[in-house]
Amino acid sequence: MSDARRPEFPGLRGPVTLALLGALLPVLMFAGLFAGAIPLEIETVVNSLLGRDGPRQDFIVLQSRLPRALLAALAGGALALSGALIQALMRNPLASPKIVGINSGAAFAVLVTAFYIPALPHSLLPVPAALGGLMAGALVWWCAQRGDIDPRQLTLVGLAVGLTLDAGVDALLVANTGPESSAPLIWLTGSLWGRGWTHLASVAPVLLTLAAAALILAFRLDLQALGPRRAAGLGVRIGLERTLALLAAVILASVAVSVVGVLGFVGLMAPHVATRLVGGRHRIMLPTAALFGAVLTVGADTLGRAIRPPLEISAGILTALMGAAFFIWLLIAEDRRI
Amino acid sequence: MTDLTFSRTGRPSRIRLSRGGMRGAVLTCVLAAGALASLLTGGRDDVGLAQLAGLFAGEAASPAEQTMRDIRLPRTLAAAGLGINLGVAGLLLQAVTRNPLASPAILGINQGAALGIVLGLTVPALAVVPGWLLASVFGLAAACLTFAIAGLVSGRIDSMRLILGGVAVGAIGFSAVRLGYTLEDDIAREVVRWTVGDIADLRIDAALRLLAFAVPGLGLAYLMAHRLNLMAMGHAASHGLGFDPRATLVQGTVLAALLTGVSISVAGPIAFVGLVAPHIARWLCGADHRRLLPVVVLIGATLTIWADALSKLLPQAEEAPVGIVVAMLGAPWLLVSVLRRSGTAHV
Repeated sequence: MSDARRPEFPGLRGPVTLALLGALLPVLMFAGLFAGAIPLEIETVVNSLLGRDGPRQDFIVLQSRLPRALLAALAGGALALSGALIQALMRNPLASPKIVGINSGAAFAVLVTAFYIPALPHSLLPVPAALGGLMAGALVWWCAQRGDIDPRQLTLVGLAVGLTLDAGVDALLVANTGPESSAPLIWLTGSLWGRGWTHLASVAPVLLTLAAAALILAFRLDLQALGPRRAAGLGVRIGLERTLALLAAVILASVAVSVVGVLGFVGLMAPHVATRLVGGRHRIMLPTAALFGAVLTVGADTLGRAIRPPLEISAGILTALMGAAFFIWLLIAEDRRI
Repeated sequence: MTDLTFSRTGRPSRIRLSRGGMRGAVLTCVLAAGALASLLTGGRDDVGLAQLAGLFAGEAASPAEQTMRDIRLPRTLAAAGLGINLGVAGLLLQAVTRNPLASPAILGINQGAALGIVLGLTVPALAVVPGWLLASVFGLAAACLTFAIAGLVSGRIDSMRLILGGVAVGAIGFSAVRLGYTLEDDIAREVVRWTVGDIADLRIDAALRLLAFAVPGLGLAYLMAHRLNLMAMGHAASHGLGFDPRATLVQGTVLAALLTGVSISVAGPIAFVGLVAPHIARWLCGADHRRLLPVVVLIGATLTIWADALSKLLPQAEEAPVGIVVAMLGAPWLLVSVLRRSGTAHV
């Protein structure tokens, strides 16, 4: 962000944007309760939500669409926050959980577990996902430590790691084709199809804890953006805080992937939009990015169900379409600035 | 006199020549071995090389001979054609963009072509256009978009932006493909298997179509070989020597898009052949495109034929599509090459 336009004091732009996004999210989630194979009246939805008498569709509203909207918000927020943290820590505007290979690592680990340890209950799938994501992240990080690698080169390494793991995912799918093989395919494109309260319960505690931890680290990240030396001069323990924040970022993305699959480009897009909306200070940028990610994912899921019911278009397809287009615009805009 | 028979390194030049010949011979042997392995394996145990004799038997061929003639041989030929087309396309793209990581898959051409095919299946108005043409046109459009992102409009190609832009263009193309088969249930079954690069059902018409593009494509590429060499010296240098690098860029990209388009219309998007084959070729015989072209043909065909043979040989419930075998070989290779590069210089 250019210094010329920076105001003398923080101003109200950040809080106002946060409040607007915070208001938009429940509105979208409410709209999501109407979209789907069975159209519902406003009265029906409100009755079901509030437990009042009259026409009700408790199962559709409370057991199917409500947990789905909540999970979309949570997972989208987690991916966006993860992307924001990774971009800040690597000081690389093109990094994201997908580009750095974390999503593919988590997806690979989840599929290995699902196919070869079928006894493991589904509520524990976030554990192997986190391990897979951490391994992919560690691999990229280890590569980054070799020599003085520049941040954009790191993107390339992450891309290569991701493609290698994607090849592994394909191989797993082919080796395990069976009557249920379409379920992992749907999951891989990033879909909230068939997700309910049990999935929400299995990931919500982890995601919320990590998100809180990340936001506490946010203040320190503001100092880090000054560069490692100056931050150290101001009393930031660079190594420790970097590692902690990166760990939080990797686990956030991996756990989100374990329930909703690979939602393309949310982690890449959200931090950029947030930076343009409220500026680069992490204390305000991180929550904005998380909220934007939640809004985007809830919106994509709702749209995917509304376009041509009873068909469902995976949220991941819509976020990837929007996200990749946005990424291209970003590349072109970057070119203009240079 | 002795000076003439010795190269600069002090070794007799004859040995260098024969080493090149040796490499060619070894490569041809590997290719032949792969073709044999591919021809010898399949669903039926009673089909072997002896059945090749039935090629010209016509109606009188036994079932085993028919299997060889109608299924095994076309499939192996198609694998070879794919390898040749994609290898040459990759070599052309790497030369004209001067970027060793360029390839049809990484620049988004594969995904664009796949989108073209899916549109041909879903939009009635496009059904009359042949698949290879749709795939080529959309592949070319994707390449143009990637080049524009890389900064071609303002007169240069930034190598990193070329790769990242290509990945983003590819992501859009592939999401659109997925969107297509989500909306049209009828084509889903057909397309899902096709998107991983499956050649199990290819027959002789597909093999012949691939080779019908491979031969003239190779000829045209050979005519460009000298200019491709000049491109390697830098755009300014090739300008100075009387060639317009932009013309070479356009011609090379169009040719690469055509070769990729026909391959994808036949077998689905197969990645990594176009990336890996040129690298192995350069590693074997240096940077002269007049020699690289025949070598990349041999290597591309060897890669896909072996991948096809492996996909039949690996013991599992269902055959792995050749595209996945290639990805499993090619993706780790990409990782290693990026790592080795990152230690020394920029891409």
